[in-house]
Amino acid sequence: MSSKTPKNPSRRSFIKLVSGSMAIAAGAGLLPSALRRQLSPINDAMALPTDPANLFYVGTDGWISLPQTPTIPTFHPDVLAPTPFSTYIFGFRNMTGLSPMDTGGVNMNPLVIGQKMKAQHNAPLFWVNEWETEADTFRLDLLNIGLQMRPDLTDSHSIHWHGFRNVIPFFDGEPTGSFAVPVGRVFRYIFKPRDPGTYMFHCHVEDTEHVHMGMTGLVFVNPKQNGQSIGGFTKFAYNDGDGSTGYNRQFAMFLSEVWAEAHWADAHIQLPEWSDYKVDFALLNGRVYPDTLQPNSPFNLASSAHAYDTKRDSTGDLVPTTGQEHLQYQPLSALVTCNAGERVLLRFANLGFKETSMTLAGIKMKVVGKDATPMRGFGGGYNSARTGTDTSYETNTLSFGAGESIDAIFTAPAYISEAAGYNTYVLYNRAYNRSDNQSGGAGSQRTEIRVYPGTTISAQTIPNENPTAA
Amino acid sequence: MKTSILQKLSRRRVSPLAVAIASLLAGLPILSIAGTVGVVCSTGPNFNLETKAGDIQLPDGNTMYMWGYSLQGQTFQHPGPVLCVNEGDTVNITLTNSLAEPASIMFPGQDNVMNVGFSGTTEVIVPVQPQFTSGRAISLTNTATANGGTVQYRFVAGKPGTYLYESGTNPQKQVRMGLFGTLVVRPSAGSDQLYISANSKFTTSINTSPASNWNEEFLVLLSEIDPYQHWAIEANPLAAFNFNNYKPRYWLINGRGLPDSIADNNATFLPAQPYGSLARIHPLDATKHPYPGAIRYLNVGSEDYPFHPHGNNGAVVGRDGRPLETASGRDSSFEKFVVPVGPGQTWDVLFSWHDAENYSPANPVDINIPQIANQFFGMFYNFSPYLGLQGQQPPNWSTLNTCGEYYIISHNHALYQLTSWGVNMTGPGTYTRVDPPLPNNCVL
Repeated sequence: MSSKTPKNPSRRSFIKLVSGSMAIAAGAGLLPSALRRQLSPINDAMALPTDPANLFYVGTDGWISLPQTPTIPTFHPDVLAPTPFSTYIFGFRNMTGLSPMDTGGVNMNPLVIGQKMKAQHNAPLFWVNEWETEADTFRLDLLNIGLQMRPDLTDSHSIHWHGFRNVIPFFDGEPTGSFAVPVGRVFRYIFKPRDPGTYMFHCHVEDTEHVHMGMTGLVFVNPKQNGQSIGGFTKFAYNDGDGSTGYNRQFAMFLSEVWAEAHWADAHIQLPEWSDYKVDFALLNGRVYPDTLQPNSPFNLASSAHAYDTKRDSTGDLVPTTGQEHLQYQPLSALVTCNAGERVLLRFANLGFKETSMTLAGIKMKVVGKDATPMRGFGGGYNSARTGTDTSYETNTLSFGAGESIDAIFTAPAYISEAAGYNTYVLYNRAYNRSDNQSGGAGSQRTEIRVYPGTTISAQTIPNENPTAA
Repeated sequence: MKTSILQKLSRRRVSPLAVAIASLLAGLPILSIAGTVGVVCSTGPNFNLETKAGDIQLPDGNTMYMWGYSLQGQTFQHPGPVLCVNEGDTVNITLTNSLAEPASIMFPGQDNVMNVGFSGTTEVIVPVQPQFTSGRAISLTNTATANGGTVQYRFVAGKPGTYLYESGTNPQKQVRMGLFGTLVVRPSAGSDQLYISANSKFTTSINTSPASNWNEEFLVLLSEIDPYQHWAIEANPLAAFNFNNYKPRYWLINGRGLPDSIADNNATFLPAQPYGSLARIHPLDATKHPYPGAIRYLNVGSEDYPFHPHGNNGAVVGRDGRPLETASGRDSSFEKFVVPVGPGQTWDVLFSWHDAENYSPANPVDINIPQIANQFFGMFYNFSPYLGLQGQQPPNWSTLNTCGEYYIISHNHALYQLTSWGVNMTGPGTYTRVDPPLPNNCVL
């Protein structure tokens, strides 16, 4: 496509465009090269730039596991769900390292297209460094491999980086003002993030449905201050200049919701009435308590420079933790382990549709950022650096709604000896109807902070990792 | 459930198509006329308002019976007129009530609101008070009696900012029926500021050069409708609707749902819904366009409205008519990519957009641009990454893009609210339209 010379193809070429691939293949060789490109969509879509992608995600459908009981008549667990799963989703998968095409460049890579109906929730966590030079430019390729359960839905997908400032519509993933990625096509999103903090991302195609169905995840931007030694820390939430946002460990805490009827409806070729929306399950990192406490699925350290890269088997499928096969497509734990005295950064983002009220009983959290902005007033006027008044505050309860993010840091209290070998603090949604699935069928945004003595837990190699006790 | 043809069309995969159809039906080309977006003020400080009943149009094709405040002598409108006054004005508002039950106006956020009565021709001025019948409150403020009664309110507009005005009488019924509107108090320091601080200045034609920048002051008034309530009241204005059963099915921005929301102010095909919400701006630029735009958010509903503008973080510089400053005047504003407006709150936000990468054909995006057959595109797309350019469009495609401008969506992120009783991608959503920097080829 040329951006310089807008012109409409002739009616003749349009007829060819819509007249089927045989005709296109037969006629393509006779056409001028520009038009030939237009009539060969697959090859064009696969003609990626030579720079390798930092990440390669695919969009598809799949199944996750939510507590089988209590049941929700008709809708939960879904009768179509393969064992041991319960709930139909749309979602993303991280296939970085593989090519969309096979070695011949003609057919799609079977390892990649084989991930149909193997989506995960939440979407693979990723992180990016604050952009300083072209070397920091971040490339995310998205391939849409379609929906196996719903071949009738030829839905496109996109990546909308929610909260990215001053992005052009071309890279914003909002399809009415730009475009989305049709089935069988690849698009490369380019991100040059200049504002550290916690964000989220999601598909923006028919977003009420695709967001609720699970095409949602968390992304954060590391500040360029990282690596410097300030105030006893080398990792920070923001470019604070004084170490006030420094931390020893960090955990993404991604909140989402499942209305069982809507998920059932998509699997059964039905339509939900969205104004009837309610929350049946409230999820933390894609799981409900007590699954939130189960370990992360194993990850590949070497390929986890920018994303939590869950291990894949020879077919490209996700490898679950042994004994937790029901969490195969919910790889991210919400358990937090740390040593007494350490500072821990919790990065909260909410892509449910309801207000949440995350409470940490027994430990004060310090709110250092909201919506990827440090808690500081403008140093000068509008659009100046946020180096002014410190507006951070301490709280036990973080109340935030759909699409909002909060960065909160706590200092792990001193360890008091007990039989378990660690002290437990509970992090839960104080709106109890979303943190109790023992008594009603509602789901469960609840997890634990476990504080160990001394230097029991070794340093994290990637975010959300809970290294085994030393 | 009632199902219109449009609703059936849009019940599923074709919802973008339905939106496109609705947009075409809505005659969208009008939106390219400058000066027809942004805040439309009814200026005071003396206002004669009247309660009226009428109907509005909803994105699924339904119409809805409403009550509303109108300027006296004018036809029914929804929401009520935007009342603009200046800091320090003594504001007089007289309400004439044509409804079959008492009605009133409250001014939350104003101090010392007075009820002006008369003894002969002499004014009798007393503070407004809740009204009681047999010891039980029937109104939060003084009322105009049913079927033609009047009441007069007076206050000094002491603090600049954005405020609601709304019925205080049986408000769970009357406010939801539509008795609400916006009150803007402009600071003495300048009509192009939200507050007294010069840091709250926003773009107007009077403070930028070239002067062809237009006013970038916008309104986002969020509300919701339970159709069963409205049908009950329409059948019998005094009907006892059980508000325990209140369940919104429609959510609106400035009294309209997307795509009507992006039509012009006073669009002829929306005769009772005069206020659009398209935000049309130019990119922030140190010399050509140095100031941000301003958005005044209000929530008159009973639900939370987490409103998400794409592509920018709004700087929240005031809430409920008070600037976010410390006692010593230091800035304590904060930034939000979701503006979570709670029931009854107002948030004043400065915002701007510029292309952080300065992309252009001379500084191209570092990818192979997929050809159009590999894109699922929308009706506002300029078919180019670059602002001010229009790329090659598919044959027989009717774009709504006029000059390579960008359309950056803003919408409620409680996404079940971004629907109209089953029609997706409607409701409280609008766009920031970014025109290329001046001079450009866009039609004013």
